[in-house]
Amino acid sequence: MTLEAELTAAIEDAGRGAPAPDFEPWALRVFAHQFEQNAPYRAFCARRGVTPANVGHWEDVPAVPSAAFRRADLACGPPEAIFRTSGTTGGADTRGHHRVPHLALYRASALAGFARFVLPDGFRLPCLCLVPPPALRPDSSLVQMCVWVGEALAAGVEWFVGERGLETERLLGRLTAAEASGEALLLVGVTAAFAQLFDTCRARARAFRLGPASRVVDTGGMKGMTRPLSRPGFLHECWTLLGVPGYYCVNEYGMTELCSQRYDSVLDDRFHGRSLAPRRLVAPPWLRTRVLDPDTLAPVVPGAAGLLCHHDLANAGSVSVVLSEDLGRAAGDDGIELLGRASGTPPRGCGLLLADLEPS
Amino acid sequence: MSAALLACLDAAVAARARRRRRPLRDTIAALAAAAERWRDDEALRAELPTAAHLSPEMIAAIVPIAAEALDAAAMTELVEREWGAGAAARPVPDGPALVAQVLASNVPALALPAIALGCLAGAAVLVKSGRDDPLSAPAFQRALAAVDPELAATVVTAYWRGGAVASEGALLGRAQVVVVSGGDATLAALAPRLGDRLVAHGPRWSVAVISRESPGDADAVALDVALHDQRGCLSPHAVYVATDARGFAERLAAALAAMAERLPPGPASVEARAGARLEAAEAEWAPGAVISRGPGGIVIHEIADTFRPTRGLRTVRVHPLPDPRALPELLRAGQVECVGIAGVDAATLVPTLRARGVSRLCPVGRMQRPPLSWPRGQLPPLGALLGRSAEPLIEVEP
Repeated sequence: MTLEAELTAAIEDAGRGAPAPDFEPWALRVFAHQFEQNAPYRAFCARRGVTPANVGHWEDVPAVPSAAFRRADLACGPPEAIFRTSGTTGGADTRGHHRVPHLALYRASALAGFARFVLPDGFRLPCLCLVPPPALRPDSSLVQMCVWVGEALAAGVEWFVGERGLETERLLGRLTAAEASGEALLLVGVTAAFAQLFDTCRARARAFRLGPASRVVDTGGMKGMTRPLSRPGFLHECWTLLGVPGYYCVNEYGMTELCSQRYDSVLDDRFHGRSLAPRRLVAPPWLRTRVLDPDTLAPVVPGAAGLLCHHDLANAGSVSVVLSEDLGRAAGDDGIELLGRASGTPPRGCGLLLADLEPS
Repeated sequence: MSAALLACLDAAVAARARRRRRPLRDTIAALAAAAERWRDDEALRAELPTAAHLSPEMIAAIVPIAAEALDAAAMTELVEREWGAGAAARPVPDGPALVAQVLASNVPALALPAIALGCLAGAAVLVKSGRDDPLSAPAFQRALAAVDPELAATVVTAYWRGGAVASEGALLGRAQVVVVSGGDATLAALAPRLGDRLVAHGPRWSVAVISRESPGDADAVALDVALHDQRGCLSPHAVYVATDARGFAERLAAALAAMAERLPPGPASVEARAGARLEAAEAEWAPGAVISRGPGGIVIHEIADTFRPTRGLRTVRVHPLPDPRALPELLRAGQVECVGIAGVDAATLVPTLRARGVSRLCPVGRMQRPPLSWPRGQLPPLGALLGRSAEPLIEVEP
């Protein structure tokens, strides 16, 4: 059994309630595997004098900047899929690409995280996706995740973004029907698409009361949005325009370069008796994030702002440790809070999925 | 705020009308004397580092440079160049009653040339300070009031948060000319409201080119990079080197480290520090790139030669360029303001750099010392305020 297959099984088992993979031993095994199989990464480590022989802790595994995924093919084998970042400038050549040699590992991680943080009650709801369908964006890791969610965790999947962007009329019709029948829905999409939906609802003085246990999963933040919408503002709109309370609104944080995601803790906390805990972005046990000082790349003191450096075991097929362009700080014992982006970093990410479709 | 300021503007325009008959040399003398007083303003020097996020050593270095530009002889030369021989002895030609100067916040002391050019154009001047230097403009007005109260009465200094549309519109609406320096967002917000009254100076960068390296060139470039912590449009972000670019990169890194001892960097935001870190981290993945990262800044030796601005904090790319005459082809039009040169015959570059929008050529080590006559944005400094059209200008400093 390959390392990736073994890890896939361990993550799937964890999703069914078994103990999670023990992070440190797995991190060292995965590093040794990547050092051996991934030539550009091996050269990068060698320039730092780092080899599996002299790495004793997961924190010592070298991190590549996410921009390196624009410059090099960082994979441990032939890819089963290549995902590309979204962005409105620079064209396809300047977009990051994540070559994923073992799609099953991405699937296992994505579904386990989604199930735990979005569907802790195990409900299977019709999934309405406010992202383009795979036929339009076959290289989007978010779209791929939505496909899997629709297949494995939902009662079907419907797509509401077409070649011209958000298909507002069709979406409003579907929401009207759901409201009339009392059907609960799982709405998943980029934040910018929800903002468009809210604007339309406001313009038409239309509000919905979706069935109990309906929930909203949004990702991408302010990118691609035509007007500012704060997080409290977003949650307010979910309640007043869709009838979905804040504790059923879960923000997702992901990157094309990662096979695991972080989620708003709100629903997980509610289902585990921690309703008063502050919102934060939490992760499955196989994804750890450190907050690093930009000058030294040493961990900052708890609560201070720094660059987010993700260590994702599910990235076993490429590079597990990725220095992101995002700034954040630790929140609670297990979470992070996103604060913004490093200066001068170009807009990118799934939040721009709509902008990519709509010529400006 | 705006009602009181509007009254101040009315008073300034009235003061300007009373002064119209005086010869320009009176204005020149007052400005030069005020610059000296401003230079020696201890309170300003004490407060400016915190406001501008620059080290005290940096402020001590750049305050004299800003004051020096308001030299009486240089101002006389400027008015005579634009308005003919003997212009300093005559009253100023007809022009706008009120010029508004909206300053950027990247570099301190921008208020001095802004006020001086407005006064030399015979206008009352409204100066809207940048966020990070609300001190220089009022300090200069105080200095001016001490030497020439009548001229000082034509100057109004203010600070308000950009984007306060109603009051901003009322204030800027009084001006016949509005000069705006700032980022793309600032210009995009103001352009539709100001129409052809706007003189815009958007984001720009600078480069240096070295054909035959002389001892001290690396030190000179390091000074150009370090001054203002590389935040100005005259700050070089790339150096093109004809021979031994790799060696020059090493010498520049050492020179920047030494410069950091003399001119320590100011405090930088976590966003800016993260940007610089990621720039270096990404550069490592470019073919043939060598990165030197130290307390003085970051030097990236890169084979690819297309000009790309860095993210600042004293970060410079060094590119090999065997033939410096090829430099203009590497610059996008309107991107670069100044080219610092060493061992290069400027005359061979002037026509093509002018076509690329470059407005200044000077020796390395002098890039951050533009005279008042610098045709920023290729515009005549005084003529632009009077709406006079001219061929795109480029100034060559010997």
